[in-house]
Amino acid sequence: MKGYNLEVGRAAPLTDAIFMHELSVMTAVLDAVEQHAQQVGARKVLAINLVVGERTSFVDDALLFCFDMLAEGRLPAGARLNIRRTPMRFHCASCASDYEPSGAHFRCPSCDRPGQITNDGRELLIESMEIET
Amino acid sequence: MTSHESLAAMHGVKTISIVQNMLEQNDLAAEANRQRLRQHGILGVNLIAAPGAGKTSLISRLIATLQGQARLGVIEGDIAGTIDTQKVLAAGAADAVQINTGGNCHLEAGMIRRALDDLDLANLDIVLIENVGNLVCPTHWALGEQLKICLSSAAEGHDKPIKYPEIFAVSHAIVINKIDLIELVDFDRAFFYESVRALNPNAPIFELSCRNGEGVLAFGVWILDCLKQVRDQ
Repeated sequence: MKGYNLEVGRAAPLTDAIFMHELSVMTAVLDAVEQHAQQVGARKVLAINLVVGERTSFVDDALLFCFDMLAEGRLPAGARLNIRRTPMRFHCASCASDYEPSGAHFRCPSCDRPGQITNDGRELLIESMEIET
Repeated sequence: MTSHESLAAMHGVKTISIVQNMLEQNDLAAEANRQRLRQHGILGVNLIAAPGAGKTSLISRLIATLQGQARLGVIEGDIAGTIDTQKVLAAGAADAVQINTGGNCHLEAGMIRRALDDLDLANLDIVLIENVGNLVCPTHWALGEQLKICLSSAAEGHDKPIKYPEIFAVSHAIVINKIDLIELVDFDRAFFYESVRALNPNAPIFELSCRNGEGVLAFGVWILDCLKQVRDQ
């Protein structure tokens, strides 16, 4: 039978599996930010602006923790990580308006009919960064 | 320029617009996998469920149901062990590869690329990826599949769509396993369907039992139909 074991990310020892989700994505973010920063000749990265939607299930604290750990010794180290969150929303055709779900169901809070999920809250974006040249 | 901007300019501080998907690298790798599967006329399926919902059982049932009509290769994703790979091979899978993630809670496109290297793609019709048991993280990591399937079970209750909306919203089909237990567990079918439809108006919902086989044929027929569509493109 073929098979193989994979290394756990490229990070320093991290045994808490809860952060694995954020670890993988922050590895990718670090690589992208570093590449862009090098391309524009940045001396230092001051801030990184992310947009993270509610539908993506990434946790801010975990993203920050992973960023700090992964950025050590690299160009983006010390940058302020700003995370703008966007909520999940549903559209009610009867009321012709959007709403955020109550948590117990997906019905419209005004008319109690089930709506349809919109594309809000799907963002997972590196929006911009602030650098020093 | 405002005084803030002129001060910033003096210190060489600039804002650089990036607007890049955080998962772009994975998406690119997934697209490469997708092209590769398409070139071989293979239907790629990503099966996502909480631990214990019955992923391996469903795969085993599907292998048996499609025997003689489609050759199934399986990529097994687990944190550790080879139990599931052994099971699907015993069930008659044409080929199987085990990935042990060593702690990672989801499979990623790069892992699938390596697994595809080890599968006999020339002699397969369907590649079924059994993702790590988790209804959250795997949802966001494209692997190159054509079909993303959300598997839940009657025993897990009817509020799964409320707790895990994203996987239900983006799946091409939803499967409820252990339907034979519905009289014994607290499963409000009407609420489950209403919640799923608010997230996903079109995905077919299959009720089945891997234990007694009820409903498996209908699911198998749908899979074959999807395979035909992939080949007709």
